[in-house]
Amino acid sequence: MNGRLTDASPHESPYDSTDEGPDDPGLRAEGPGLRAGYPGLRADAFPAEAVRDRARRGTAALFPPVEAYGRTLFGAARTPAHTAPGADLLDALRLVPPVFMPRRLEKLIDLAREPMHHDVDLTTVVGALNSPLPAYLSAFGSTQVASADLGTAASRQAGRLGLPMVIGENVVPVNGYGRLGTAAAGDTERSLLGRIRAYLDELPDGMGGVAVQQSTEDADAEVWNLVYSDPSARPLLESGRLAFELKVGQGAKPGLGGMTVLNRAAAARVAEQYAVDDVLGGEERVLRCSSPGTFTEEILRQQIRLMRNNFPRARVWVKLHPGRDVRDAAAVAWSAGADAVTVDGAEGGTGWAPLGFLDAVGLPLGECLRRIGRPNGSLLASGRMWEGTRAAKALALGATAVGLGRAALLAVEEDPERGLTRLVEALALELRLLISALGKYEASALAYEDVWSAGTGLPHQDPSLATPLGTQP
Amino acid sequence: MLHITDPATGPAATDRLPEAPARHLTDPTTRAVVRLQNGVLTAARDFLRGHGFTEMLLPMIGPVTDPGVRGSKQVDIDYYGHRYKLMTSAILYKQASLLAFDKIFSIAPCVRLEPLETANTSRHLAEFHQIDVEVAGASREEILRLGEDLVRHIVREVTEHHAEEFESLGRDTGAFAELLGQSFGHRTHAEAVAELRDMGHDQSADAEIDWQGEAMLSAKSGRPFFVTDYPKGSRGFYDRESRDEPGTLRNFDIIAPEGYGELCSGSEREFEYARIVARMRETGENPAKYGWYLQMVREGIPDSAGFGIGLERFTRYLAGLDSVWQASAYPKVPGVIAP
Repeated sequence: MNGRLTDASPHESPYDSTDEGPDDPGLRAEGPGLRAGYPGLRADAFPAEAVRDRARRGTAALFPPVEAYGRTLFGAARTPAHTAPGADLLDALRLVPPVFMPRRLEKLIDLAREPMHHDVDLTTVVGALNSPLPAYLSAFGSTQVASADLGTAASRQAGRLGLPMVIGENVVPVNGYGRLGTAAAGDTERSLLGRIRAYLDELPDGMGGVAVQQSTEDADAEVWNLVYSDPSARPLLESGRLAFELKVGQGAKPGLGGMTVLNRAAAARVAEQYAVDDVLGGEERVLRCSSPGTFTEEILRQQIRLMRNNFPRARVWVKLHPGRDVRDAAAVAWSAGADAVTVDGAEGGTGWAPLGFLDAVGLPLGECLRRIGRPNGSLLASGRMWEGTRAAKALALGATAVGLGRAALLAVEEDPERGLTRLVEALALELRLLISALGKYEASALAYEDVWSAGTGLPHQDPSLATPLGTQP
Repeated sequence: MLHITDPATGPAATDRLPEAPARHLTDPTTRAVVRLQNGVLTAARDFLRGHGFTEMLLPMIGPVTDPGVRGSKQVDIDYYGHRYKLMTSAILYKQASLLAFDKIFSIAPCVRLEPLETANTSRHLAEFHQIDVEVAGASREEILRLGEDLVRHIVREVTEHHAEEFESLGRDTGAFAELLGQSFGHRTHAEAVAELRDMGHDQSADAEIDWQGEAMLSAKSGRPFFVTDYPKGSRGFYDRESRDEPGTLRNFDIIAPEGYGELCSGSEREFEYARIVARMRETGENPAKYGWYLQMVREGIPDSAGFGIGLERFTRYLAGLDSVWQASAYPKVPGVIAP
């Protein structure tokens, strides 16, 4: 491992930093100094320290210091560390418990005692994969090529938790002619196999699953075909726990493809496959740009159908960037048979992207969810997810589950053995507290009625929207 | 807890696998099958040459190959530092060859790393051959008739000249009476889907007829039949989309009777540049890697129709074999390590 994820120091690897995934640990994500003078979404840094705190202390980090108990007054004046009012609909919203709780009465009758937060059932079907809570592990970009250990540690912990996991190995196409896990294969392929293996080693029966991502340019390497025909993936395939995610775009740079900083020697090796721009100054580094791929309604529909045709035993996920027509795109994906649609909000990526894109391009996650409205299938939401309130608000706006990206990586870096586990335990407890406070006992029961903010039009007055959005009508 | 399968252990559920080469090659069944296969090739060549076709020897490697193959993986090779592919099918070169001749055929080798689940379908090989045919200016109806005539000619010739082999294989040639005496059956994909659903099989209307469904339809038929008009999204970019019925392809399969399943796939081809690029995207392809092909298409290639008959599958059907690997002297069952 080459230092903390927030270091901007160069790595030894030829792949100094890539961006794939919303979820890459931004090499510069935390530097408010870097962002000074750039208004907008990105002005509030990702709360890395709070994430690390949860990775260290788990559920204890949900509460004020116990030493202060009985000696300090806590009130609403406290400025939440992780919100920046006005920047994002999700931040602007508050969760609003009612006084009268008919669903709590139902639960009381069911249990024959007063229900508690422990009674909240968080189990969720995430894109046809079972998860113990409404969350999954988002794709890590190849930024972690420099620290494959992190990806493996994250996989092991996710497996232990039974958390569905996306693998976004855009690096497969760059190296090698071989198959998974063979001597002829490149390091990155070994890391793809290594991650699947680490995950499977810990995975409880009947839970979790792996979604392998492929983008337009990855298609050259036939990542899906490779996985689908590889013996390593058989345990997943045979237990219905293998999914393929079609990557249409990502939050960090909607409308653009992947970008990677390469040294010149590495760039020469991939020049046949990728556009390489000499725009970074200096002698050593050049910019590799992937094409984003062209999509129309018909192209998206047919690509999904072809995935179902060619890989009938794999689940189909589709990942969208936060485009202004995200509602239409999600509708096309579901109607073509996608098991899940992932929406990656513009605040999502700290992926390596042009600064202008980070600051001013794409819809925030909350607006994406608002535009999509009642989802017609499993809707997965990623973008700055790490704690319960933001997750609960996303669920209330229709998401089935939320993706942990940067947060998971930071947690694993903080403690490769237990960091992610503690972060997820904290998330689960916080969700249980919140959902029970809203008088509900299933994650999927959250609805528009559970959120409010002045001027956002939420909650809707339409009584039909008081029913859960996250389940299919 | 799940465990990774060791790649060396291969598939778990194959009924019967080829024996070691020395045993397989000296098995009387193998000898009879290979002689029968010779009869198939001789008959195919005679028929096609008699109809004005030129036999082409098509490349085995190239920068790009047929992507339209359900679930299988292409084989990459290092061609002087460039990533090349072994041909999964000859389709791109079949279209190209029409720049030289209006009617071409080839006995083309194909390599596809099929998904491991195909190891026990009895009808998949990782390495096989196709009798590949392509005709400039032909319509689907014309090419379909040619395919039917070719199959019938081959069956007539081999039953006439290889009685000894049929005898030693225990295959009653009376099984071909309907094939020889009647025209092939015909149903559209939509009709096949409806039929399967009536039989209680959950067949997707948007996808290929799955292997089980195909076997069910095949088993209840006494002669080969065509399935036409597959939906877009089930086939490669080169199968022409109907101009009258968007979303439907101008293609066909020939399905053998008695449960032997698909023998042949064919179609009218897309040949117009902009359509091919759009169809490539719809099939998830990156057009950039098809440089030589798209350049050629841009300069103009003939419209055409063609098909490929799986030689080992056809042989299996004729010989009445349990598994398609028995129709190969050096069989490669998907996932099974073999010389």
